Amino acid sequence: MKNILRCFFVLFIVSCAKDDALNNQYSEIPNTSERYYAGGETTIFNTTAFSFDNPAPNLSAENLEMHLLGDTQFEQAFVTAPSTVNPGLGAQFNNTSCIACHPKDGRAPFPSNINDLTGLFLRASIPGTNEVGGPNPVPGFGDQLQNHAIYGKQPEVQLGLTYTTIDISFEDGTIVTLKKPNYSITESYIDLPSNTMFSPRIGPPLYGLGLLEAISEYDILANEDSNDTNNDGISGKANYVWDKKHGKQALGRFGWKANTPSILQQIAGAYHGDMGITNPLFPIEADYGQSNGEQTLTDDPELSQEILDQVELYCQTLAVPAARNLEDENVIRGYQIFVDAKCDACHTQKYTTSNFPGIEAISNQTIYPFTDMLLHDMGENLADNRPDFLADGNEWQTRPLWGIGLTKLVNGHSNFLHDGRANSIEEAILWHGGEAEKSQEYYRKLNKTDRDALIAFLNSI
Amino acid sequence: MKKSTLLTNLFTLLILSVTFISCADDNDTENTTTEEVSYNTHLTNITDNVIVKTYADLANKASVLHSEVQDFSNNRTASNFDESKQAWRDARAPWEKSEGFLFGPVDTDGVDPAIDSWPVNEVDLEAVLASDDELTESYIENSIDEIKGFHTIEYLLWGVDGNKQLEDFTDREFEYLIAVSENLKNRTAGLEEAWTASYAYNFKNAGTSSSDYISQKSALETLVTGLITIADEVANGKIEDPLNGNAGSADQTKEESRFSHNSKTDFANNMKSIANIYNGTYLTDGVGLADIVNEYDAALNTEFNTAVTNAIEAIENIPGTFTSAIENNRDAVTNAQEKVLTVFEILQSKIEPIIKNL
Repeated sequence: MKNILRCFFVLFIVSCAKDDALNNQYSEIPNTSERYYAGGETTIFNTTAFSFDNPAPNLSAENLEMHLLGDTQFEQAFVTAPSTVNPGLGAQFNNTSCIACHPKDGRAPFPSNINDLTGLFLRASIPGTNEVGGPNPVPGFGDQLQNHAIYGKQPEVQLGLTYTTIDISFEDGTIVTLKKPNYSITESYIDLPSNTMFSPRIGPPLYGLGLLEAISEYDILANEDSNDTNNDGISGKANYVWDKKHGKQALGRFGWKANTPSILQQIAGAYHGDMGITNPLFPIEADYGQSNGEQTLTDDPELSQEILDQVELYCQTLAVPAARNLEDENVIRGYQIFVDAKCDACHTQKYTTSNFPGIEAISNQTIYPFTDMLLHDMGENLADNRPDFLADGNEWQTRPLWGIGLTKLVNGHSNFLHDGRANSIEEAILWHGGEAEKSQEYYRKLNKTDRDALIAFLNSI
Repeated sequence: MKKSTLLTNLFTLLILSVTFISCADDNDTENTTTEEVSYNTHLTNITDNVIVKTYADLANKASVLHSEVQDFSNNRTASNFDESKQAWRDARAPWEKSEGFLFGPVDTDGVDPAIDSWPVNEVDLEAVLASDDELTESYIENSIDEIKGFHTIEYLLWGVDGNKQLEDFTDREFEYLIAVSENLKNRTAGLEEAWTASYAYNFKNAGTSSSDYISQKSALETLVTGLITIADEVANGKIEDPLNGNAGSADQTKEESRFSHNSKTDFANNMKSIANIYNGTYLTDGVGLADIVNEYDAALNTEFNTAVTNAIEAIENIPGTFTSAIENNRDAVTNAQEKVLTVFEILQSKIEPIIKNL
């Protein structure tokens, strides 16, 4: 019986391939077997509701032990000092644990109530730059607005949210309505300057971050084309940001505008800004000098270097979920469309990571993250109109696409982009403007079958 | 019409029809090959008779707890005090028996942190109690997770040292107890509702286009991963951190249910959670992962059930409270930890591979 089935299968491939021979360059996705291992040897074959929170299977015993310690720390909830366990929350904060904004090490949903404890916050700044070329903090607020506080202290702000709808038409007449969130400040403990600029940010998934940190600077800059010398309408610009640990400028790799040079600085900044937990890299409370702050305690830094190192390694060594269904006819067709629409002009498919001292598991790995790690003008609809180091008000960093098809299964939602405004992968595509406008237009001209094929491909990687 | 044209046309028709048939057939063959064996009965029983029943039990017991603390507040007697504490333990049991399946709404709706956050933010809780704030269910709902849920109720009923007396209660504490218990009741009812309204359908229909699960195997793997996660958590977190968290010696502050001294029961119920999913049982017997494992390796099935039983016994046989045992009976605690690790290792090295290779 199995042979008969196989016969049918072969016949099917041949016949269908003939049908599509005119416009299909690919009868299979190049390097299919390699691509299943999206994260190289850190890949885990786990298509479950727990696909994002696994240690890389190739970790050394020493790295694995530290990863598990970091895992415990990552889940810790912080409380108001003094406390025997996890003291130091606030005085102002956005949430109380790492995992609250990165559920199951995945993606936070768009908030159902903007003032709940959520995975979303607003960055803020006034025109000009700070002493290291970064955003100019808002006097009395800093560069991040906390809408929660420990009991008896005032949150910095309360937020308001309205939506503007944008109708997008496909060539076949289908209309999709996008909801653009408009954020406002409904209350603040002191007045915000009228020229304050805001930028919403949501908690992104964490798997594979170490691999992205291990991509060589040379390989990232090779894709840079700030002046669009190849005239493809796509520039690609590196952000250069402040590296606190080394006290110098460095290539920006993490954060929605690539405003952070390293995972270490990203997590240390999150402890500090999101939870009010001071640490060796950010030893002064975010609310220092503010009238709503907690100035009396002398407990800084509240987090040790040891814990910071554990959580850093944890975030560097989460397994990347394997790709799925790459041999499906529809997925292969979707790959063709992905290439034809020039999505991969920014969503760079493949790298080989460099040697990463201390973590062999993420060194010299062939990976398929689908990001160039660079900044691109994404058009007015997505713009936050707030510069962040070299990123201007229209620019965002290309997001990695690996694993996005598992978001619904793991996190129960399909909210994408920097504030989770897109309700599906399709909506995320339709939000693409600026340098990505042509690719988005290409998508809108496709028929339903081909649109579905592209989505099937994106869901498979 | 020329004969050759007719023949060509017929030939084209034949090719087209073969193409059509083969393409259509391929969908069928694909379905039969990937879903050759159906696990409908397993997924249906585990969903309807284990997961949903556990959550229904939890919601029901949380509702009883809410009633009991109201009674206690209205009539502040020693027996009502005891009944409130017992109602907390009774509600705690199905929650711990649900920790083997911490996926779906319990996670994506934020129920887990809202009902089981630890540690309690004692500073904020005491500040709220000392305030004039009106203590309603919605007040609790809008508070941070660390002043709501099981451990906050536990803190209020037992006190920080676990020996709270009837005369220690203040009016404000009663108000808070009632509001926080009502919140627990609402959140657990919401959890049950989330499953019965949609997630049970999503899970049972794994492998169809109406489910987030791409295959039945993906759903079964999710179950196994859930079991591995809780076995790991009990051995390497819940037991290890208090036992060895102070540079190799005991650290009582890291014990989760230390106010009520309920930790041993918590851990045993976590193990029972594993047994329930594995065997497809909760109040009733049904089809579970055991039936799949048994088909491939009957000896492994026996080995695993024995390992779970041994772990439960070892936990229950730890002398005295867990708080005291991590100081005074460390060998018994270490023994229990090793038994849980055995469960973890069998799941990871022997059972997960069977499910992955289905």
